[in-house]
Amino acid sequence: MGSVEVCNLKADNVSVGKQEKKLHLLLLEEGSRGEDPVVWEMDFDRLSLPGRPTSGAERLPSWLAAREICPCGPRRFAESEVLKKAEALARSNRELEQFAYVTSHDLQEPLRMVAAYSQLLAERYRGQLDEKADTYLSFLTEGALRMEGLIQDLLSLSRVDSVKAPATNVDGNAVFADVLKNLAAAIGESGALINCGTLPMLPVHRSHLAQLLQNLIANAIKFRQQKPPVVSVQAERTGPQWLFSVSDNGIGIPKEHVQMIFGVFRRLHGRSAYPGNGIGLAVCKKIAEHYGGSIWVESDAGGGSSFKFTLPAEGVPTD
Amino acid sequence: MVLVVDDNPADITLLREGLAESARNSRVVSVSDGEQALAFLRRDGIYGNEDRPDLVIMDLNMPNKDGRAVLAEVKSDPALRSIPIVIFTSSLYGADIARSYQLGANCYVRKPGDLKGFVLAARSIEDFWLGQVSLPDQGE
Repeated sequence: MGSVEVCNLKADNVSVGKQEKKLHLLLLEEGSRGEDPVVWEMDFDRLSLPGRPTSGAERLPSWLAAREICPCGPRRFAESEVLKKAEALARSNRELEQFAYVTSHDLQEPLRMVAAYSQLLAERYRGQLDEKADTYLSFLTEGALRMEGLIQDLLSLSRVDSVKAPATNVDGNAVFADVLKNLAAAIGESGALINCGTLPMLPVHRSHLAQLLQNLIANAIKFRQQKPPVVSVQAERTGPQWLFSVSDNGIGIPKEHVQMIFGVFRRLHGRSAYPGNGIGLAVCKKIAEHYGGSIWVESDAGGGSSFKFTLPAEGVPTD
Repeated sequence: MVLVVDDNPADITLLREGLAESARNSRVVSVSDGEQALAFLRRDGIYGNEDRPDLVIMDLNMPNKDGRAVLAEVKSDPALRSIPIVIFTSSLYGADIARSYQLGANCYVRKPGDLKGFVLAARSIEDFWLGQVSLPDQGE
């Protein structure tokens, strides 16, 4: 029975977990073309303990299941290419996020000028110039407002990771109640029915859980069919995580697009069909991944959708 | 009388526009940096004949003494610290918000990005500080 020593792994196959205390190694069978990589998770701090695959043991490919992963001693690991690469990646991730945040933040100021003054111009001079000018002014104002919306969206996205770990567990039911209040207008206008099972207490930020639930429920209401939307929110414990699902009877998502919709500013429909910038799901994804969870959708066109995401059930509240 | 402290003339114009439509008819005076603001409040030099403002609406990021420096000086001066100062800025940095309140800002308002929102914010600030709240008599 052969073994794979962590220090000898190729440094290309390293990624750093969102919380930066986890090292994720992509293990590839030697000579393979990269199909079926296994993601192996280790704690930075406890290098002497064996890591574990993040996927369930039953999904380990046969070439790995038959081997033993031997992490080498902490000193050799500290000097290894793998750790250096991981640290560089972690630093780069942090810098990118800061850049996105600072840029979006600083872009607000000049954009604000453009938005406000094009609106002022439109208001003051509408009807006083010729028709062409009125049209130009409309396009100008619309463009400026859209730019402003995009920047706000980018800001919310880039702020997801900048929160400190939560000090106490949050009550999912209380958050759900707040979300319903926030969506009261949309619920009333669409005649939506939102069902909810009992939600747990969990070690995540209140605002994060609220954004997740609110974005998904708002989407379920927005992308409805002719009949009033029926949305069902459930949570079920699966090992160390809670598996949430938000299911609806709406227009559904064609199978070929189920990944793409989680991209930033990715939309499936024209702006005139459904409003929005296409950031809601990207924010949900970032939040789930912030806690080491994931988000996906089970859906097909015309058949409603079931969005599922995982969050930790046990955490270590800090301070 | 409202003293507006902002280095961006476009924002000062917007604020004036917003306040001009209210029924309050407040006199709006503007200066473009922290040093001018302090001189105005202390009635120094060219500002020798000015009244004490009922309300100061001030940005944070300005040259020649920024909003934080003005706050620190005004709120530690017994003669000036009772003048309400509203920080009106586009910054949403948590550190800026915390610091402003720590330095004694009476409140912190983010400048909205759209015209309607901006005007509403300006009017709300004016309505609250000059209509709703009680202010000390001048000289107290």
